Amino acid sequence: MNLIVGVSDMKVSNDRETILVTYSLGSCIGVAIYDSVARVGGLLHYMLPEASLDQEKAGKNPYMFADTGIPALFKAAYKLGANKQRMKVIVVGGSQVLDQKGFFNIGKRNDIAVRKMFHKNNVIIDYKDVGGTVNRTIRLAVNNGDTWIKVSGRGERKI
Amino acid sequence: MSDIKSIIKKIGGLKPIPQVASKVMSIAENPESSMNDLSNVIIYDTAVTANLLKMANSAYFGLPEKFDSVHQAIVYLGMAQVVDLVLLSASGENLQTAQDGYDLEAGELWKNSVFSALIARELAEKKGVKETHLIFTAALLKDIGKVILSQYVKDSFDEINALVTEQNFTFKEAEKQVIGIDHAELGGMVAENWNFSPKLVEIIRHHHRPQKSSISEFESSIVYMADTICMMMGIGVGSDGLAYRFHRKVVESLELTERDFQKIIAGFVEKLKQLETMINI
Repeated sequence: MNLIVGVSDMKVSNDRETILVTYSLGSCIGVAIYDSVARVGGLLHYMLPEASLDQEKAGKNPYMFADTGIPALFKAAYKLGANKQRMKVIVVGGSQVLDQKGFFNIGKRNDIAVRKMFHKNNVIIDYKDVGGTVNRTIRLAVNNGDTWIKVSGRGERKI
Repeated sequence: MSDIKSIIKKIGGLKPIPQVASKVMSIAENPESSMNDLSNVIIYDTAVTANLLKMANSAYFGLPEKFDSVHQAIVYLGMAQVVDLVLLSASGENLQTAQDGYDLEAGELWKNSVFSALIARELAEKKGVKETHLIFTAALLKDIGKVILSQYVKDSFDEINALVTEQNFTFKEAEKQVIGIDHAELGGMVAENWNFSPKLVEIIRHHHRPQKSSISEFESSIVYMADTICMMMGIGVGSDGLAYRFHRKVVESLELTERDFQKIIAGFVEKLKQLETMINI
């Protein structure tokens, strides 16, 4: 069964019937994690890089921001028995409008935020599909960690 | 290249916008109008009235009581809000359908349209615009051209996609190159055909290139900005994705900082869920 992760939302699961899915990542980033031994999967869909923008909003919804959402994702997975060393990590999204360069470039900042965070915490990204101008959807099967990325108009592929 | 004339002919196949929409617009523009003037115009269109009440009673507004009359809705929500709800009710039919060429399922283009309109209204208010209905309506209907062009985009998708991915074309530029007309230009023609005001026609036509607009550059810039925010948030975005140009000068002309921009996004994330309850009707 599909368990939908909305915009600024996060879900973890150890239910083998569950497929975690998040739709339509524009400049947002989806972080999917999976521990194949504990068979625990998690998926985060964050919108903005830093919680310092609005601490009150970050308090109410940590999943809106990279720097509060990513730790919350990992902690929720640990609670279900996942282990950091075994974690497969996939990062998708972070698209940009053409000619945006550095200006108002939330997609790029979202990408930098996750890379910074993972570098600091020694997390290696196993698969990355970030940037460009496309709109992406990601699905993760909790049963075996199979992951699919759909790019609007260009079909879905298993990675 | 497709036969442009046959594409333009399809404008006649769209569901016409109910007359009540233009009537409420003129009431909104007249400072002398009363609540009764507004409600008297709305109640004669039963379909729009029913939709309006459903939206007014949705979780989006979170009001304690259920409304059963247009008059009550106006009293509680105010004339400006009700005018916008009427405009939403009147615009839905064409925009709620699936658009295969753009890989949009039923309801997705509608979600994008409504969300763009709400963001545009907020931006307009921030810029001190008093009469926001023009901008709201333009943002709501900016992609009406896609409803007609979808079939043609579907037939030529590979060619369009190649120009976008290999030659730095925007999706709109690629539509023009391959099909001979793009969705914004076609949307402007639809607006003319529906006898919209020249300003409204221009905003729809230039919503991707506001600097080309001669009589409504400011309004077009607001709609452009709202559309850009929607694209980045991934709200009802399809196969064209974010493949449109970022015009730095337009953003600068609105005197928006990146922090303002991020704050608007953060504010709308919270409204997204309630909004879904309002438009899934």
